[in-house]
Amino acid sequence: MSASLAQECNEVKERYDTCFLKWYSEKYLRGNGKTDDNECAGLFKDYQKCLKVALKDRGIDKLLEEAREDTKENDAIHMQRK
Amino acid sequence: MVLTHTTNHSYAHPFPTVTLAFFLRYYSPQLNPFSSHVLSTDTISSHVDPATGRLHTTRIHLKKSRMPSAVIKLLPTSVTGGAGDKSTYVVETSTVDIREGWMKTESRNLNFTGVLSVTEQQHYSVTPPDQSPDTKPSLSPATSSNTYVSTTFSYRSSLGNRKVDKAVATSDDPNRSRFGGWISGWGAKRIQSSIESIASNKTDDQMVKSRDGMGMVLERLRSNGVVAVLRELRRREGNVFEQSG
Repeated sequence: MSASLAQECNEVKERYDTCFLKWYSEKYLRGNGKTDDNECAGLFKDYQKCLKVALKDRGIDKLLEEAREDTKENDAIHMQRK
Repeated sequence: MVLTHTTNHSYAHPFPTVTLAFFLRYYSPQLNPFSSHVLSTDTISSHVDPATGRLHTTRIHLKKSRMPSAVIKLLPTSVTGGAGDKSTYVVETSTVDIREGWMKTESRNLNFTGVLSVTEQQHYSVTPPDQSPDTKPSLSPATSSNTYVSTTFSYRSSLGNRKVDKAVATSDDPNRSRFGGWISGWGAKRIQSSIESIASNKTDDQMVKSRDGMGMVLERLRSNGVVAVLRELRRREGNVFEQSG
């Protein structure tokens, strides 16, 4: 079972992962996933509540923000070239 | 400068199964023995666009450093933190369009970007890459028996660039501030292209392992559905847990 980067989130992450994979294989891949993965939404919320704290503590939220800005810059460069 | 490298591959599995294997590829070393370098995997967003029906997912993987040792050796310890065994955070974004039969993914490192940024882009499709979508055979994504993937790696070293130096100058670590001077004395461009080419050469080996790993996950999914695969993993990992406890 793949771990969460925050050990305290492992349990809720596993529950979400299992829900997602079931939804993905049984609904989305069969063309029935148009609305959203509502049956996993509650689990996802719990999981994110736990994970957000860990992302902040480790400074990953800032790294993600920087990466997004960097992508925007790169996209702008590539657009100009075309 | 940016160094890029593209390769094509095909899996003898239908497109939906390949996308499932993509999401499962780091799930367990029991499922994919080539995933033992992946320390953690977390989903930070996942939603279906109601207009297009596409699934957008963002995940963060923590991997044992993929920074090649040859690159580590080029750098002073003030930059590498004294070791090459640090972990790398990788952000992976993916979009799946099950109706049109394609998946696009992009993975890039979040830390060490001052030394080297590696971006891996993959395009999975029911259509071979040399065929334009207009001429595609009238096969639905679910019945087409092959899935084609085109993988492009981009390497960009920004070592010694102004933006990075600025970041270094604001760093709390006093050792790191000396680094800006070190690099300009050496000729940043030459070191940048060395790092890019060493990293590029190293990737070929990793790509084969990554492909083999996907292949093993696919074989498991061929003989069992995902729910059975997960149940089997849980049972086995449960046993391991009981033995160690």
